[in-house]
Amino acid sequence: MSKRRIVFSKTGMGKYISHLDLLRCFTRTIRRSGLEVVYSQGFNPHQKMTFSLPLPIGVTGECETVDIQFQDGVTDDEIMEKLNQNLPMDIRVRSVGDPIHKAAEITAAEYRMEAIATEMVSEHKIQAFFGQGEVLATKKTKKKGETTVNILDYVRSWEITGIAEGGFCLRVIVDAGGERNLKPELLANALNDYLAPIKIEGWDICRKKIFCHLDETLQEEFR
Amino acid sequence: MYQRKLEECLKRVQKPARYIGNEFNSIHKEWTSDKMSVAFCFPDVYEVGMSHLGMKILYHMLNEREDTICERVFAPWDDMEQEMRKERIPLLSMESAKPVRDFDMIAFTLQYEMSYSNIVNMLDLAGVPLRAAEREREDAFVYCGGPCAYHAEPLADIVDFLVLGEGEEMNSELMDVYKVWKDSGKPREEYLMEIAKIQGVYVPSFYDVTYHEDGTIKSFSPNREGIPQKVKKRIIKDMDNTYIPEKLIVPFMETVHDRIMLELFRGCIRGCRFCQAGYIYRPVRERSVEKLLEVAQNSINATGYEEMSMASLSTSDYTKLFPLTDGLLAMTVDKKINLSLPSLRVDNFSMELMEKVQKVKKSGLTFAPEAGTQRLRDVINKNVLEEDLMRTAKIAFQGGYNRIKLYFMLGLPTETDADVLGIGELAQKVIDAFYEIPKEERKGRSISVTVSTSFFVPKPFTPFQWEPQNKIADMEAKAKMLKDSITNNKIVYNWHNSDVSFLEEVFAKGDRRLGEVLITAQKLGCKFDGWTDFFDYDKWMEAFQIHGIDPAFYAHRRMDHNEILPWDYADIGVSKEFLIEEHERAYRGETTPSCRDACMGCGAAQFGGGVCFE
Repeated sequence: MSKRRIVFSKTGMGKYISHLDLLRCFTRTIRRSGLEVVYSQGFNPHQKMTFSLPLPIGVTGECETVDIQFQDGVTDDEIMEKLNQNLPMDIRVRSVGDPIHKAAEITAAEYRMEAIATEMVSEHKIQAFFGQGEVLATKKTKKKGETTVNILDYVRSWEITGIAEGGFCLRVIVDAGGERNLKPELLANALNDYLAPIKIEGWDICRKKIFCHLDETLQEEFR
Repeated sequence: MYQRKLEECLKRVQKPARYIGNEFNSIHKEWTSDKMSVAFCFPDVYEVGMSHLGMKILYHMLNEREDTICERVFAPWDDMEQEMRKERIPLLSMESAKPVRDFDMIAFTLQYEMSYSNIVNMLDLAGVPLRAAEREREDAFVYCGGPCAYHAEPLADIVDFLVLGEGEEMNSELMDVYKVWKDSGKPREEYLMEIAKIQGVYVPSFYDVTYHEDGTIKSFSPNREGIPQKVKKRIIKDMDNTYIPEKLIVPFMETVHDRIMLELFRGCIRGCRFCQAGYIYRPVRERSVEKLLEVAQNSINATGYEEMSMASLSTSDYTKLFPLTDGLLAMTVDKKINLSLPSLRVDNFSMELMEKVQKVKKSGLTFAPEAGTQRLRDVINKNVLEEDLMRTAKIAFQGGYNRIKLYFMLGLPTETDADVLGIGELAQKVIDAFYEIPKEERKGRSISVTVSTSFFVPKPFTPFQWEPQNKIADMEAKAKMLKDSITNNKIVYNWHNSDVSFLEEVFAKGDRRLGEVLITAQKLGCKFDGWTDFFDYDKWMEAFQIHGIDPAFYAHRRMDHNEILPWDYADIGVSKEFLIEEHERAYRGETTPSCRDACMGCGAAQFGGGVCFE
């Protein structure tokens, strides 16, 4: 048997599929596909399947990964083909291969954040937002409960990739992973508040990349 | 066009997966002007509607037609409804987020009376005129099917028509007629006249009702030529040669029945006198083992579900249950698919069967003796003996089960205090049976018995249809008496709300005068009445008062055998004479044999199929 890392995208309405529902979706997809996988031992056997970094609800993703243990005798191409035939339309497998990194090595993620606004937002205003010393927000975690943090501490880099009448678009890299993680929603909410009275109608947020060991010298994409 | 607004709403509501669609096997057709469209609506929230087998059958079947687009619609939960109303988003279909009011047909399935307010609410949210008389040529036709369609007079002024019986063929015939009518330029009435010729179609506006001074019905008759006095239901005679969907939609979120449901047969041979399903689905028609195994295999392959259940009214009455379970186990065990067997009857339960179903996963056992004493079980024709229950319980305990659920009804006709207290006594006997087994033979150390009671709702098309329902205070007094009598802490007692049962009875037996009450109740905010978080008894009473209608007239009045009943428009095949005989036999405490033991001549044989000709 061998553990394969499946890289997939979750787009469109798929962004509202919760983590638990996604797990169930993959389990059923595997059954439909006829691919032979490894089941856990015990009273209630289940497929061995691990997602590296759950995607927040309402956010699309282009580089999501799940590790699945397959029985021997199947090629990566076959896995990819059979999964894509059997996955719902909003989830597409992009590649299948050996897992390189461990999920614990994840340190950062890049998001594209597209804001739809009723009027023009000036570049200056966005710069001013990121230029603040502190933007406080309440984070909820299972371990620590509610804590107030400076979310700008979590932002590693940002840039404006587009700005127009109907809104603007940002590329941000923020802390991600088990140790330090920032949900892009917190950043979006803080921007909504900061830009008032300009009304942001909504955000389209997409996780573009996940990184390991990210610092000034080394940028490596999670694979 | 509503996609963007809808998406923003989804960020603010609970369980957004209820509204996203795009599930595996959902059908997305291209909207072209030559196609007809049906919005198939389930008047409850997604996870309830997606558990309903009938909807799956008709959705896939209608989409088999190249000229028809069928899309699903569910009732948005309250949080979503508020968002939609605030953002002025009308009710939309799942597949293409099209406004429901733009469909040619709006079909609702009527599974239980407490969903009627949701139908009105969904029409309101869709922006469709609430009364059939207010709809114009370009408006959609609103129709309903499902078990309640046999007695849906409260909806008579709201729907354009009702379809009685099994819809596999009928729904397609409606589309055939629509296709011709659509471009004909003829008025709505012409379409209704045309479909009224189809067996099973009831058009309420083609009938006039007059009433006596005491409120009972004086006359009920067609108001134009060529319309039958009674509408006969439709059935599928050959269950192997009918449309069975296999590429079922696989939801993302967990639904109430989140599994493959294999329909072994329709109908029930038993004839329990309280059970409407036991009469309206007659005669019993089985599928063959070969067909079922083929459907099961294809469904497993097409869905990837981890569980399969055998869904029928009394599954263990399937004549070839053992070969079927063997065949099903052969295809499920290796794939780690659970096979579950609901609706077991205690009289033919066996160790062997129990072992089969628990091969993959063991769960609790549920039995429904329905009444606490043999006398009352005879009255209701629930042919379960106490010995059977005890024997079964012992087998189950030896097999390792130690959680048993028992279901009963309170408020059955002829019920006395002894019958009520008998429920607690029966539960105690089950516990005693556990301790009678030598310790080394029973696997569990302790035993727990859950007793659940619901309040009896006399239903149309049963021998008890003329019976009054117990008054709310009486029902509650009975539940309290039972509760006080149970002292053993190994017995857990639950009972259901009696206000809801009262309203269920009113709408089960109501006539068309209740239509305006429904519309008013929706305006007052009534919806999701089957959900305790939403059910508001006082609002309902206010709605009745506004229209000067006494709901007790429908629920608490003993009806006469000669009375014209609001549901006399429907001919379910079982004759009124037979129901009267059964009603009288009940009072004599006489039981009636099952259809396989003896034919009692109920009338269902006229359909020319099923158990009547076995």
